[in-house]
Amino acid sequence: MKMDLQKINVKFFAVEKEPVPLTAFIDIFHSWIQASDGIYHDVADYSHMTNGPGIVLVAQDANVHIDETGGRRGLLYTQKARLPGSNQERLRVVLCAALENCRKLEQEPALRGKLKFSGDEVLISINDRLLAPNTTESFQALKPDVEAVAGQLFNGASFALSYKEDSRRRFSIAVRTFERFDVDGLIANIGSEARHS
Amino acid sequence: MERGLSWKEKLAERIPPELGREIDIFEQQMELRKQGKIDEKVFAETRLRRGIYGQRYDNGQRHDGKRVQKLKLSADIIKGPDTLWDAPGMMRIKIPFGGVTPEQLEILADLSEEYSDGVAHVTTRQDFQLHYVHINDTPALMRRLAAVRVTTREACGNSVRNVTACPLAGICREQVFDVTPYAKASSRFLMGHPDTQDFGRKVKIAFSGCEQNPCGLVTMHDMGAIAKTRVVDGKEQRGFAFYVGGGLGSVPYKAKLFDEFLPEEELLPTMQAISRVFARLGEKRNRARARIKFLIANLGIDEFRKLVSEERQKLSSDPRWTDFLASVNQRSEAPLKPGISLNGHQRAEGFEAWYATNVYKQRQPGYVAATVTLPLGDASADQLRALADIARRFVKDTIRTTVEQNILFRWVSEADLPEFYQAIKAIGLGAADAATIVDVTACPGTDTCKLGIASSRGLARELRYRLGEKSLELDAAVKNLRIKVSGCFNSCGQHHIADIGFYGINRNVKGFQVPHFQVILGGKFHDNAGEYGVPIGAVPSKRVPEAVSSISEFYVRKREKDERFQDFVGRVGKKAVKDLLEDLTKIPAHEVDPSYYTDWGDPREFTLADMGIGECAGEVVSQAEFTLAASERELFEAQLLLDAGRPQEAVKAAYLSMVRAAQGLVKDQNPSISEDENQIIEEFTKRFYDTQLFWDKYAGGKFAEYLFKAKEFINEGKAADADRAVQLLQEAQLFIDAAHDCHNKARGSVQNAVTIGAGAQPGA
Repeated sequence: MKMDLQKINVKFFAVEKEPVPLTAFIDIFHSWIQASDGIYHDVADYSHMTNGPGIVLVAQDANVHIDETGGRRGLLYTQKARLPGSNQERLRVVLCAALENCRKLEQEPALRGKLKFSGDEVLISINDRLLAPNTTESFQALKPDVEAVAGQLFNGASFALSYKEDSRRRFSIAVRTFERFDVDGLIANIGSEARHS
Repeated sequence: MERGLSWKEKLAERIPPELGREIDIFEQQMELRKQGKIDEKVFAETRLRRGIYGQRYDNGQRHDGKRVQKLKLSADIIKGPDTLWDAPGMMRIKIPFGGVTPEQLEILADLSEEYSDGVAHVTTRQDFQLHYVHINDTPALMRRLAAVRVTTREACGNSVRNVTACPLAGICREQVFDVTPYAKASSRFLMGHPDTQDFGRKVKIAFSGCEQNPCGLVTMHDMGAIAKTRVVDGKEQRGFAFYVGGGLGSVPYKAKLFDEFLPEEELLPTMQAISRVFARLGEKRNRARARIKFLIANLGIDEFRKLVSEERQKLSSDPRWTDFLASVNQRSEAPLKPGISLNGHQRAEGFEAWYATNVYKQRQPGYVAATVTLPLGDASADQLRALADIARRFVKDTIRTTVEQNILFRWVSEADLPEFYQAIKAIGLGAADAATIVDVTACPGTDTCKLGIASSRGLARELRYRLGEKSLELDAAVKNLRIKVSGCFNSCGQHHIADIGFYGINRNVKGFQVPHFQVILGGKFHDNAGEYGVPIGAVPSKRVPEAVSSISEFYVRKREKDERFQDFVGRVGKKAVKDLLEDLTKIPAHEVDPSYYTDWGDPREFTLADMGIGECAGEVVSQAEFTLAASERELFEAQLLLDAGRPQEAVKAAYLSMVRAAQGLVKDQNPSISEDENQIIEEFTKRFYDTQLFWDKYAGGKFAEYLFKAKEFINEGKAADADRAVQLLQEAQLFIDAAHDCHNKARGSVQNAVTIGAGAQPGA
């Protein structure tokens, strides 16, 4: 089974020294819009929901969420537009884009260093049940690509993939390493190649 | 690359053929539109009738608080006038009478994740909506819905919209009979019916099992049916008190009684005959006057009734009119578990408060209906899936959405409530306060709606938060009030029927645009939307929570024993309430506190630019603003006259307030305009109406026509009853609001011109 990987979502989990109110990200995302040139459509505020999509920076090609799904806050990057290249190239592009957004938030003056993202763990999902049903077959089909990209992301450090078959949920693979990485480190590992691919 | 199955192929066996064909046709229409072979307006109505709606910024522009950004979207194809193909849109999903199954909830969850932003939204008419949907995804989305017997057909557009019904139908202790089968039958019968395809505007239908409760909101609908029985020759006969011509919108109309007892077998043919009359005689060109309510207002209810009766006689008999009646007495729902009372079961923290507000004892002993409160009507994909699981565990498939944007689980065995509560609490939906002042209803407003003026959801979120914090301390009289918020005058948030309602407007404060909400008090949610509230005055958006506190504290302090809020407002008078709010109409100067010049949950400097401006032009003359303010005062005096039981004088005063506002606008261009009302109207018509400067992007010349109609009414010397006076006063308020907008736009265009000029010549 060969899979044409699209609609890739990745989530990096937040590590907060003190809780940052969700609503703080509304102002930050609006400032990003002001600094951009028509890339972003809007900011959606779901701060009233429990374990919901949080605050969403909506764009045509990909959304950026401060996402609280599953009870864990993180930066969720949802690629919507089709990407060219091989599956591994697409995974690298999305990971890199997510990490760049993580770094941008970590450096955000308004947060004054309160927010960091863990580089030890990433959740990769395919937001298309037709393309990637949540089955063992999908896992087997994608495993080589995910392992190859994770190897590069963690610069050869050992890592583990975990997957739970559940026909109702989107296909997701959690990738965890046992070494410490920060966002800058991961970008250094994967970033330059992804940007040029 | 291997080609996998498409949704069409994968679901071929599960999609009912008629639904499948409709979706195939729509997909072809999409292709033809892409090739330019279907006119953009025709395609717009086509997609609307498939439930695919436009969304804010879909013209490809967005004001970021400092400047208008052109969004990076292809402008090669459009899906309607001024609507880019690639721009995200809204998908409305019809849920007749709010009935939804666990399987359908799961599909909604999947669709919200894959095609939207992970949230499904329950609307004030029991639909679901998904936002940020790309039109290219809609055929797949529709097929996946069709596979679980859900359609988006005629969810929008000039069609019969979702047929709503009391969510307690069948389990209500006070119902006359269960209206569910009738709502279901009328929804099926009218959807796609040839006689419902040529309307000038939409038609909304509602059913209620009783007169006194609010659940069905019958009198605010184009057609509404309240269950009745009568005894004929010793046999009980079922029928309906049948109403027509209600509607909210900018000027609310209460439905008129069409037939005090319409026998059940006459329900569908009467609806069909009404549809024919409306299609034939309803306004088609002027959308602002195209609802059934205007046709009935023009014809009079007696003439309308006569025309419908004649049309009814011409109809050929259709077995669908009565086929469904054979099974209306059969219970369509079965409980999953035996009904057992609650006594003795262990209860979690928070349970008692939740039980007090969210649980309704059914007419069937041992069973209750439990409301799951969705904040702002929103549920995440995970929550929807969990709710599906909870349904399977406790009730099987007896779930309904409500017009208060919640989800009702029917047929819960009372003994299961503690576990049920634990289960919904675990997914963050265990909040109490359903159907209280905390449970604020709101339309999408500026979050996603193209017509939104102010942030209704932002305000509702803030009010929920603040009121929820002190929920336990609230006086019972206050706790039972309803708050409803609309982002503009169109009333999708149903502000007219709230005890305390708000709709978004714009006001100019020393050269800055400031989001405001018009305060509407005294609406009645009960008695099937029994009374519509009246405007009291405009309050800056950021001061609305203080206004709610002031009003509710005033009510607690001054109410007489057991006095209902509507009666209280009537007794103390609007002037007293307006005086109460007077201090709250003021805000600090922009340089002192700019936060008042932004909206809730949106740090951008407030602007109407995203609604599309530029039609109005002129010079900035301070006298004009002064005159506009005078018009508001005059309108308020008109309201006081109405309160004093002097409708004729109120109508005259309201008309003169509109003339005053028109004079304010004319002063922009002709400072020497006289006080003569005929000259003012003549100049206003020439300078603002004929030139379309006083033109609303969506409502066209509707607001100016209110002035012309009022003049006609006055000149003809017609007697005004209270209903006519209320309507004219509402129209005067909208005219004055529109005059403010027109003036602000004119001012804005002058200021922008100055800014651009300065930027272009930095050395000047």
